[in-house]
Amino acid sequence: MTPLGKNEALDRHALVMACWLAAALPAAILFDYGFGQGGAPYVLSGFAAVLAGFVAHVIVNVVYGTGFSPRELGLGLVIYGFALVLFVILSLVSAPFAARNFVPVSIGFIATGAVIVFYLITRFGARQAFDAFDVIRDFRAGDRDPTSPAGDDR
Amino acid sequence: MTPLLASVLGIVAVLGLYLATISSRHAQEPGDFVDAGQALPPWVIIFAGAGVTLASLGLPDHLRLLSTFGLQYNQVAVGLICVALAAAITQKRIWLAARLTSLRTLGDLLGDYFGSTTLRIYMLFVLFLFSIPFAAMCLSQAGALVSAATANDIPSGLAIWSIAFALFLCSVIGGWRAIAYFVAAQSLLILALIVFFGGFMGFAIDKLAFAATGIGTTGGVLPDKIPGVIQFSAGIGKELPAGGLWTTFAGLTFALSLGGIAISPGFSFLGVTSAPRRGFAFGQVWMIAGLAAGALMLVGPVLAAEISAAGSLTAFTARLATLDPMVAVGFTVLLVASGQIAVAFFAGSGASVCTIELTSRYVIPGMDGRASRFAARVTLALVYGAVAAVASFAPLSATIFSSLTLSLSMQLLPAVLGLCWVRWISRSGVLAGLIVGSLCVMFTESFGLVLFERLFVDLPWGRWPLTVHSAGWGLATNFAACLLVSLFTRAGSERDRRDRLHDAFAEGQRARNGGQAATTAKWSLTLLWAFLALGPGAILGNSFFSEPVFAGTVVAPGVPSLLIWQVLFWFVGVFIVWWLAYRGRLSVIDEFPRHKIVLVPDINPLFEPITTPWIARLLDRVTGR
Repeated sequence: MTPLGKNEALDRHALVMACWLAAALPAAILFDYGFGQGGAPYVLSGFAAVLAGFVAHVIVNVVYGTGFSPRELGLGLVIYGFALVLFVILSLVSAPFAARNFVPVSIGFIATGAVIVFYLITRFGARQAFDAFDVIRDFRAGDRDPTSPAGDDR
Repeated sequence: MTPLLASVLGIVAVLGLYLATISSRHAQEPGDFVDAGQALPPWVIIFAGAGVTLASLGLPDHLRLLSTFGLQYNQVAVGLICVALAAAITQKRIWLAARLTSLRTLGDLLGDYFGSTTLRIYMLFVLFLFSIPFAAMCLSQAGALVSAATANDIPSGLAIWSIAFALFLCSVIGGWRAIAYFVAAQSLLILALIVFFGGFMGFAIDKLAFAATGIGTTGGVLPDKIPGVIQFSAGIGKELPAGGLWTTFAGLTFALSLGGIAISPGFSFLGVTSAPRRGFAFGQVWMIAGLAAGALMLVGPVLAAEISAAGSLTAFTARLATLDPMVAVGFTVLLVASGQIAVAFFAGSGASVCTIELTSRYVIPGMDGRASRFAARVTLALVYGAVAAVASFAPLSATIFSSLTLSLSMQLLPAVLGLCWVRWISRSGVLAGLIVGSLCVMFTESFGLVLFERLFVDLPWGRWPLTVHSAGWGLATNFAACLLVSLFTRAGSERDRRDRLHDAFAEGQRARNGGQAATTAKWSLTLLWAFLALGPGAILGNSFFSEPVFAGTVVAPGVPSLLIWQVLFWFVGVFIVWWLAYRGRLSVIDEFPRHKIVLVPDINPLFEPITTPWIARLLDRVTGR
């Protein structure tokens, strides 16, 4: 993977923003309508729109020969985590919401997670994908040899 | 719905500001503000091309006209393939000519190639029409849409100035690169929303009006048939054609006028400032001819039938709001974003081109990068101020002037064909054609008719006589005059510089057509397609699939025969554009130009006047003694 030039990095970033803008508005419409009178099919379609945005992001990465940047990863995890916590709280405090939306939203979250795991495995292989999240080993390696880079314990 | 709509439009504006800020921070040279360093990425060309095409058509207008005239107006969606064809024929050659000559705008290219200041002035006039009246009309529509969607909670004037200010801020911070990013991002958004609404309406609305009753037209307009090949009516304002305006000739000539988008100063500037390899071909084939035309053709009638059933666009939006406010907001954003694309693109490209062609050439020659950036910012402020003022206070004038825009832009076709392909088209031919063609356009559009009839006497014809669009009248006379004059002046004194450019084309980028037979086949197929899809042959589509000629019975295909015909020729049209753009190498850049050529010496005629030959001889005779 060669590092991008200044203009190329800017081009890639703008394209990523454009892709998410195009996916986000239909997703917001579908979620809003799905949580209202639309019901489960529209909630699931909303998740499908989010996944379409993710797939578009992956395609952009392939075109530019890059991966997700740390900021993008961070933002993605924060949004996913925040949405998950919001969903759990809403399910706990609002019985009608839970009764109506628990199954489709759960399926949506699981599907989103599954797609991300699928991407990681196909992109990096099962072992490397697991290594990326193996924080405990990183800490241990750091304890043994403070000069070696994180994750390198060979 | 007002807070929700304002929030969503605000988010889009914030995205634009963000893109502008990062573009500004990453700019390497101050001069890049004007032309993005001629290195826009291919994806910008791919998405922005389709978005600008749809925005130039005017999505709100398109839906209104579709709900008024039914499927006969849907021919215009097929006509978008003409934009792709015009772009395929010209875009790569203009890009190559710009790289060969180090010129940055179509006006400079045409001016130097033909050695004509008149052509430069004409290009600036067309640029002015796009940048101010056309953009003002789109801005005025966007303001009216926001006002109607919010039940006047946000008045039209406030919406107009807010949108103009937000777009101005994006443009003035980030320059041409930011404008291109923002236009491309919004183009992707409107393409996604059109496809989304096509699917959403099918699932969310119980009984689609299009499936139940079709598009409900009134006043004897045929909802699902083309009203003849041509109608001998005096024109709009004098005599209404029976069964509707959109005969095959109206559809064909309107489609020709859409080609004016592809050769407009702004669109060609977008191409020239890009650094593509396969971006041109992909954008033309899959985005303009494929996605934009297809989505408009298939989704447009469904939305138009609902609008027709609801009574108006505003009533339809209100109906969507009862379904869910967010749905109505999404639909309004779709229409407003199309207006924003037109405003941002034409005002932004207008300011950049004006800086290059007018300010840095004639007003302050030899400006450095910083001065160019400052000049472009001042021009942007003037253009946006004018656009917002015209949109607020003179929307009718904007509409009248903008009706000339595409037709007059299309009158440049002979000149652009000369630049790109036909070396024997001469300056005199182009100028003669432009004069005759532009006069015909003026006198078959409301601007010329109103002006002439107010000043002198009533004319016996109205707008678009014989149901032929003004671009058609103009082009027919333009080509006739141009070819006739060029026949006699093709070997004039400026032939040498024309040859220089075409020789350079021939050296480096010969189009690989696969032999004479393949070339003949390609262009014959293109003409046959134009005849059947848009020309007189399209009349067959009225009943081809519902009353098959040889079956002798009437069948019910489930949708109008005309729509099937249109979809069929959309497929064929995409194939033809693909064949020309990819297989014919019309839009694929195989290798970059290896050397530069100079068309004319770099002389500013205002500051370093060129002595005309007879004056030089006279002076020589006097001073020689």
